[in-house]
This record gives sequence, structure tokens and C-alpha cells, in this order.
Amino acid sequence: MGREVSESCIDSLLTEMVSTYCNRFYANKPELAARRIEAIGYQVGHQLSERYTLERPRFSDHLEAIKFICKDFWSVLFKKQIDNLKTNHRGTFVLQDNRFRWLTRMSIDLSPKNGASEEASIMADNKGVQSMHLYFPCGIIRGALSNLGIPCAVSADISNLPACSFVVRIKA
Amino acid sequence: MIVCVAVVGHQNNPLYIQSFTDADDALKLHHIVHCSLDVVDERVNNPKKSGPTLNETFLGLLYPTENYKVYGYLTNTKVKFILVTTDLDVRDADVRNFFRRFHAAYVDAVSNPFHVPGKKITSRTFAERVSTIVKSFGLSSAG
Repeated sequence: MGREVSESCIDSLLTEMVSTYCNRFYANKPELAARRIEAIGYQVGHQLSERYTLERPRFSDHLEAIKFICKDFWSVLFKKQIDNLKTNHRGTFVLQDNRFRWLTRMSIDLSPKNGASEEASIMADNKGVQSMHLYFPCGIIRGALSNLGIPCAVSADISNLPACSFVVRIKA
Repeated sequence: MIVCVAVVGHQNNPLYIQSFTDADDALKLHHIVHCSLDVVDERVNNPKKSGPTLNETFLGLLYPTENYKVYGYLTNTKVKFILVTTDLDVRDADVRNFFRRFHAAYVDAVSNPFHVPGKKITSRTFAERVSTIVKSFGLSSAG
């Protein structure tokens, strides 16, 4: 009985959501916009995790839950699994996706006009915009893990596009 | 026949309680559900190493003096489903089937964007689905 939605619709909706929150609702207040977008992601992740753990036995520890996020959850959302999972065994996990689906359509405008400093500032601007787009998936991960009983903080790192790393810090 | 179903959140807050008898012992049923939560917690915190840790906890007779059987089910998201029935011979498969369908209805109810997690489930669709599931449980175990 599943109804399907086209993927380009989702992409457009997400782009428009980020743009609306950053430019209209909380223009000049990027912190508030980021927090709002992350909260939306939290609710979505909460509900998605409820749905996709339906037929599964319970997880015995945090690592099992993180592996669920990396494999099944990510496959359902992005049609691929997380490419690399690292942990320091003390509550921090790094989930690396080498080609994050929602960033693949974003261009990095590197048209150097007046030398290296201009290029650096353009890069910085682009990084700012792109990091706004990452609050939503961070929220999704945080919502999913919270629903599984694991309070955490999630941040994203886009130092080498199109690879994207999500750093999950579990609150002790 | 099933007298009561309940959904309890991970902080033991009630999310949905529905009784299916016309008698006035709703309070007694609520009390039974409340007591069964302790048994669920006990089962979860002392897992028996034998057998896989599936997400079903079957509770036996909770009150030896009453004619009730209380079954429990614990989801991955620490939400508990409690089923109170007066049937004396209930098949294991029937109860598992019941919980599977109940879980699916719960997931649909929670996916409602207007539902606030942690608050009671007020969806009429969910109530109708639950009563359908409860009615068909009675039929299949009688036959």
C-alpha cells in the first residue's frame, strides 16, 4: 500500500526548506535557522526509526544501533550504506558517506576573480550554505538514535566534498 | 476474549489504553496494566541468556486469582504494548500475530505529523484499526 514520491520532489523540498528558513524566516540569524532545521530533522528521524525498526529484534548495545543506522536506515533513506564507520570506543562514532546523496546536486562555484583571497571567501560562503543543508540529516540521525534510547549530539563535516562525515557523540 | 490493550511509552507514560468490556472495571484493568509494567522492566533488565533477545516478552498470569492473561511486547524504541485477555487457551502464534498487526498500526499512528511524541494517541483511525484487530483476534482463536 506504499505510495511513492519522486526523488526530485524531495530534493527540491529540502532545498526550498533550507532556503526559506535561512533567507526568510530567520534571515540574519543563522543559528536559529540551523536549530529549527535540525529540529525538523529530529522529528523526521524519530518517526522513521519507529517505522524501520518494525520487524527487527531489539539492539543489545549502542554499536548495534549505530550499525543499524549505517546499514539498513541509510539504505532506506539514501539507497546506499555508510561507507566507513570509525569509533574511538568511548562514545564517539564517525559515519562517512563518500557520496552523500543530498549534496551531489550542489555545485561549488570556484570562479576565481581577483586572486586567491577572493576564491577563499567564495569557498567559505559555499561551505556556509552547504553546512546549512546538513543540519537536516544531522537531525535525522539524532532523532533516530534518541528514539532508540541513545541521546547524542550529531555534527557534520564536509572538508572534502562530495564525501561527508557525520560525527555522533553519545552523551554519557 | 481481549478485555484491554495498552500502549505505554518509554518513561512508563500511558499513550493509549482501550478496554473492550462493557463492565465498569476499567480502573481494575488500568491497574493490571500498570503492574505488568514492572514485570516487563524486570524481564528486560535481567535477560535470560538462553534464546535470542527478541522483542517479545510474554508474561504469564499476573494475578493468580483473576482469570486474566497479560501479554507484553517491547519494541526497539522502548514502547511497551500490553494485552489483557480472559481466554484460557491462547495460542502463542495468535498473540504474536496480534502484536505484529498492532505494532504496524502504532507505527502508522506515530508517523502522523500532528502527533506529538510522548503525548497520548488521539487518532480515530488508530482506534478503529485496533478494534478491527481485536475483533479478528477473538474470531481466529475461537475457531
